[in-house]
Amino acid sequence: MDYKYKYVMVIDDNQIDLYIAEMVMATTRFAEKVICVSSAREALDYLKPLYEKPDELPGLIFLDINMPEMTGFDFLKEYQHLPENIRKRCIIMMLTTSLDENDRKQAEENQFVKRFLNKPLDRDKIAQLM
Amino acid sequence: MSTQPSYQSMNDAYTAQVRHKSDRLMNYFLVSFFLVGLLLAIFYDTWLIAIGIGSLSLLAYYSVKLLLPGSDTYQYVASLVYGIFMAQFIYQMHGLFEMHFIAFIGSAILITYQNWKLQIPLALLVIVHHATFGYLQYIGYEKIYFTQLDYMTLQTFTIHGILATVVFFICGLWAWQMKRLSMRLIEQTYEMGRFQQEQLQRKFLLRSNQDLKKTNKELDSFVYSVSHDLRAPLSSMLGIVGLCEMGNPGAFMQKNISLLKSSIKKLDGFIMDILDYSRNSRLDVNRQEIHFNDLLADISNNLKFMGSDLRNVDIRISVRNGIAFHSDQSRLSIILNNLISNSIRYQNPEVTDPFVEICVEVSESAADILIRDNGIGIDKENQEKVFNMFYRVSTKSIGSGLGLYIVKETVEKLNGAIQLESQPGKGTEFKIRLPNLAG
Repeated sequence: MDYKYKYVMVIDDNQIDLYIAEMVMATTRFAEKVICVSSAREALDYLKPLYEKPDELPGLIFLDINMPEMTGFDFLKEYQHLPENIRKRCIIMMLTTSLDENDRKQAEENQFVKRFLNKPLDRDKIAQLM
Repeated sequence: MSTQPSYQSMNDAYTAQVRHKSDRLMNYFLVSFFLVGLLLAIFYDTWLIAIGIGSLSLLAYYSVKLLLPGSDTYQYVASLVYGIFMAQFIYQMHGLFEMHFIAFIGSAILITYQNWKLQIPLALLVIVHHATFGYLQYIGYEKIYFTQLDYMTLQTFTIHGILATVVFFICGLWAWQMKRLSMRLIEQTYEMGRFQQEQLQRKFLLRSNQDLKKTNKELDSFVYSVSHDLRAPLSSMLGIVGLCEMGNPGAFMQKNISLLKSSIKKLDGFIMDILDYSRNSRLDVNRQEIHFNDLLADISNNLKFMGSDLRNVDIRISVRNGIAFHSDQSRLSIILNNLISNSIRYQNPEVTDPFVEICVEVSESAADILIRDNGIGIDKENQEKVFNMFYRVSTKSIGSGLGLYIVKETVEKLNGAIQLESQPGKGTEFKIRLPNLAG
């Protein structure tokens, strides 16, 4: 059985949630390699150099909203300045505990965000993405 | 804030001030008149009249003023006294015609009290004096000293009288006009004060309103972050529990994991209820067009994953809405979510086809929402209490006991009404009417 994605990135400041996402994706054979980063800044630093190697770009990015220093929405603002060949390869999904209507609306209005998911990531949610 | 003096007290203060000022003037004039009398006595040797009449007049004035301090009577006495001084001076000067003008001085002085009625005693006295003395002199009575003219005919007397009346009338008129002007001034001052007071109050209200808005906003962001910080660990726990389930646990472990999971979900539900409650009570109603079909589809999709230990409940939706309906989407969502999830939660295990039916009918003025299920129902005696805060029908009830309380509060916030009909074993029906907030 093949993996759905070669690389999936998870951006979350909570180590446990990173672990959960990694484990769920591994067991469901959703991603071959999960890139876990604990801040939006770190994620941008990781993505930028891959301009040269687009094959190593994550096909999917799970993005948390509530993070210190740079929130998920701050990340999206920076993300739109990345080169196009990076942007067209990545699909972004919001993955958050927030139930706030404004957060949901803001995420859905963003051109780069494909879906808005509530934590935790589990087998059912992965199944829907398969 | 200082309170403004009442109109009455302002009026009283002004009247007292006029009276005080005028009383002082009276002292100067009356004493001067008495001294003039003495001065005239030097030339005409009329000491008895000057001292006798003069001091009797002053005595009358001051004794009335002292004995009746609260009344205006002494002012009328003053008016009479001016007339008597006139008569005294005319007599002392042996009927010198110019001394008749003393009456006019008295009349003019009296204006200061701003009371036209004070002219009356003086005028009456002058008339009586002139009539009596004029007649006495006319019939040839000796030593009357009314006038030095020897032709004081009725015609002269009449002209004299008319002119005097005009002077008294004008002085009375001015007194009355002054009074009216003062009243208007007080009124304006009072209105001005009141206006300033209102302005101040408005400013104060505006500021406290702004403060309140700020506090509300701060509280909202506080609730937002607290609820996030409380719910984030819970969702991590749910995630871990999910991972445990994926590890093919044995039956015993599986049971424990399920219990753990339902406890976490219950706690999460409780936090969300409190969040909904605090949102509803503080945030303004946000009016927007409601698409019932989309909204209900969203809600029933989310509720599908409510509990693995519950059977799926058939959610039947029928919406009749030719007319646009406007209300607060997030509040409407709170109401529907709570009621539909209750129908799923309290389904009747004895029926084969558990369902919940949602019918919406929109009119120009309102939306009628009917939510009917064939669940376990609610006892008659509990029906009144289910909307109470923290009320739970039985120990078997799952949830915070806030759900229906929040529903009721939210419906009220939208100016709507909610009714409950239920039969135990048959099902429950909620009827909600929400006003259309279009336009």
